[in-house]
Amino acid sequence: MLEWSTAAPAVSAAFLASIVEVVEAFTIVLVVATLRGWKPALLGTAAALGALAAVVVTLGPLLDRVPLTVLQLVIGVLLLLFGIGWLRKASLRAAGVIPLHDENAIFARESEHLGAEVRRQKTSQDWIAGIAAFKAVLLEGLEVIFIVIAVGAGRGLLWPASLGALAACMLVLAIGAFAHRPLARVPENTLKFGVGVMLSAFGVFWTGEGLGVEWPGHDLALIGLAAIFLAAGLAAARMVQLPKSEAMP
Amino acid sequence: MSILKDVLAELLAMFAADARLSAGILASVLAAVLLIDLTDLPPLAGGALLLAGCILVLVLSVRREARRRAPKS
Repeated sequence: MLEWSTAAPAVSAAFLASIVEVVEAFTIVLVVATLRGWKPALLGTAAALGALAAVVVTLGPLLDRVPLTVLQLVIGVLLLLFGIGWLRKASLRAAGVIPLHDENAIFARESEHLGAEVRRQKTSQDWIAGIAAFKAVLLEGLEVIFIVIAVGAGRGLLWPASLGALAACMLVLAIGAFAHRPLARVPENTLKFGVGVMLSAFGVFWTGEGLGVEWPGHDLALIGLAAIFLAAGLAAARMVQLPKSEAMP
Repeated sequence: MSILKDVLAELLAMFAADARLSAGILASVLAAVLLIDLTDLPPLAGGALLLAGCILVLVLSVRREARRRAPKS
């Protein structure tokens, strides 16, 4: 029986983090489709999804062989490195110290880059375009797999977390198919801030459990940890906030 | 080879984009481990130290990066 207090944070963290990653991959796939047509874009995407499935099928069963406390400790530390990194970047963006992620700008830059690459290389242009889609989906997909494992493996919540990630993929693809342009209006930094907060909270929680800490309130402690990281991230952003005239767009 | 190199670089960047931030987090984990294993304090004290260490590392890292990027006057 699933406990909502554990499942809800895991599913929502996987869902929100996957939205961010899938939007980034979708922008590159759209660049490829716009420049070279949907065939190389879809072939590159399908090949990457196949490679990601191979990674899951190969590594998935190994997770069952690792003792739970070791798994919690290792995943917890990796989550801290990953989640606090996201939170740091999101705080700096919120403060205007570094520019916001702009899918339209990325679309334009990648279009130019891919166009130049196609002109420079003598290989088949569709092949180069397909490889670009493959790399984008593979790299962003690896991050999704890590997040799903990280928030799900410590409590046997891999399936719910996977469903959260899958729902995010379907949502982005459905909106992307309808809009047919980069999903620039997704509030990416707000999502990244939220995901950074949740991943950092999971990181402290799992690392602590791996070290034998019994958190007060058990799984509900996750909510308290998330609130503390949210306050710290907002305070850090406020501390270095630049005036509007100097802030990055 | 280029794809493999890119994947490995991306994986490294996922967990260690900022060396000082990563070192600070690992030091916080190590301090929590030592507190739990070497003292008679309850493990929860180690958890609290881990949390405080991570928050401190985050705030210092944001402040350092903002200072680094501040225009020189």
